Amino acid sequence: MPGSTAEAAALAGRLLQRRENGNGYAPWRDRGRCRAIIAGQGLPAPRSEQWRHTNVTRWYAAAQTADLGDAHVGVDAPAGVRVLDFADAQAAALAGRHGDIFDLAEHPLAAVNGLLLGAGVIVLAPAGVAATDPVCIEHLGAAFQRVLVVVEAGASLVVVEAPSPFTHRIVECVVGANAQLTHLRRQSASDGYECSLVAARVAAGGRYTLAQTSMGAALRRNDVLIELDGQKAEARVFGAWRLSSERHLDNQVLVRHAAGGGNSRQIYRGVAGGRSRAVLCGGIHIKPGADGSDATLSAKNLLASSTAQVFAKPALQIQASDVKCSHGATIGALDADAIHYLRTRGVGEETARALLTRAFLAEAVHDHQGASRLGLLP
Amino acid sequence: MSDGGRAEPALLRVDNLHVEVGGKPILNGLSLDVYAGEVHAVMGPNGSGKSTFANVLAGKADYEVTGGAVHFAGENLLELAPEERAHRGVFLAFQYPVEIAGVSNMEFLKAAADAQALAAGQGEPSAVEFLKAARQAAGDLGLSADFLKRGVNEGFSGGEKKRNEILQMLVLRPRLAILDETDSGLDIDALKVVADGINAFRAADNAVVLVTHYQRLLHHVVPDRVHVLAAGAIVRSGDASLALALEEKGYAWLDG
Repeated sequence: MPGSTAEAAALAGRLLQRRENGNGYAPWRDRGRCRAIIAGQGLPAPRSEQWRHTNVTRWYAAAQTADLGDAHVGVDAPAGVRVLDFADAQAAALAGRHGDIFDLAEHPLAAVNGLLLGAGVIVLAPAGVAATDPVCIEHLGAAFQRVLVVVEAGASLVVVEAPSPFTHRIVECVVGANAQLTHLRRQSASDGYECSLVAARVAAGGRYTLAQTSMGAALRRNDVLIELDGQKAEARVFGAWRLSSERHLDNQVLVRHAAGGGNSRQIYRGVAGGRSRAVLCGGIHIKPGADGSDATLSAKNLLASSTAQVFAKPALQIQASDVKCSHGATIGALDADAIHYLRTRGVGEETARALLTRAFLAEAVHDHQGASRLGLLP
Repeated sequence: MSDGGRAEPALLRVDNLHVEVGGKPILNGLSLDVYAGEVHAVMGPNGSGKSTFANVLAGKADYEVTGGAVHFAGENLLELAPEERAHRGVFLAFQYPVEIAGVSNMEFLKAAADAQALAAGQGEPSAVEFLKAARQAAGDLGLSADFLKRGVNEGFSGGEKKRNEILQMLVLRPRLAILDETDSGLDIDALKVVADGINAFRAADNAVVLVTHYQRLLHHVVPDRVHVLAAGAIVRSGDASLALALEEKGYAWLDG
């Protein structure tokens, strides 16, 4: 396992070699850039700034041995919504129209994904289509996966990522002018080593809602990058998690206001018990010229045991003058007075804790059905 | 202690109770018998130990009982957890009711009623019947229909918080209700509503202990017995006229 930059470089070599024996899935994808990044700048070294709280070497070990898969794709979609496997002949043209909406050089793990990609799907809601039923991404049968969701102008869509294993998954979301996309991610408790990248770009008047519910994994890392690209675009990010035993969850979220009048809300509520570790870096970046932007972030964490660890860091970068921006992050325990109050009314301590924990998490739960199914709400 | 010639035992018997908070003695030999069907007022100046007494009965942590005994219906109350005391029928209306964001009043009441029914070996009360009873009690206390949907004490005015405590008492129907300064912070109209609630609650099989600084609630809820607490012990007991004398002459009168 790599414990240094040199070893990370050696690992990069081994990953590059894996591709030579790969399955040739979706050959239209440009692997050259991925290869160049891995061979050139290399992979993140352990304990680099981005990976301070998550031991990336464990993920490298998983990536080296992961089953590259058979490209089996399970997606249920309602009428009016197109679903295309990356292996489909038309996929290349459709994907090519949108291109990468994140900088691959800033996300080297996505380059590994690009190199070793084994399953991918494009979900398209054509202009003006209001899909009533959600698109459900049940499973993508490969370790390295990619999803592209395109919601064209004026359309609306709900996409659900059901719990299913992966080593790395990229979800790109293109939200057109005045379009709406609600993206529900359900992550059940897992023994896997799973990293993902969500990249969303929202055009003028569009709204993107991301609701993540997670129970953690042996290693789970969610990178989220949302760019409000047009005037008055909106983003809503809900993150709720409840970790127990040795589970690990690292959420790195950045909402970037690149145009004026944008509005973003980030709400996170997490509970860490057992010997678990929860990490949240919630970022807001207001770019020059994005005047009239309104951004808030609220992150509250509950420590449910003395051996759990929580790291919460808001990161603000404001480069415009006429903006409203607020953030708050707290780490604490359940209110002892509230527990006592409930007990004096006859409610046992365990039930009182469950009731208060549920109330705490509920503030950040947008996807109630998903949260209940995962067992997130006690 | 004797039973004062009564046939039935006291519902609450406090015998020479000593309590410390953070190593500092607060109660210094408090004794009190409360019988079913009675309303007692425990009065006293600030710092006399009134709230400590109320909190110790409800089982709050951080209060160390260093001597004496408390029995409720013949059982050693001090050995029971707070929820067990509630299951036996002890209820404390808090001086400072706790705000619980995200838990609705109705959810809170139902959780309490369910827990108490479970402890009593009964099934959960029917949700429909329970809601009806809760709405009725809220209406009687002049609380609006949406009051039950709001978060527990969240953003409530001082008066609303106190009325909410009385609402819980009316819905949960304890055998012993200890009301800790429930009259403080109430305007005259709210005081009347709260008093009506307490009077409606009074019955032959329950008892009420009113812990209060002032006489004014006692104009509306006439107590059977009045006790004056000073420096952690009861220094004088009498009937309702003792409260009137205190109002007239002040607590300093007792020192004379």
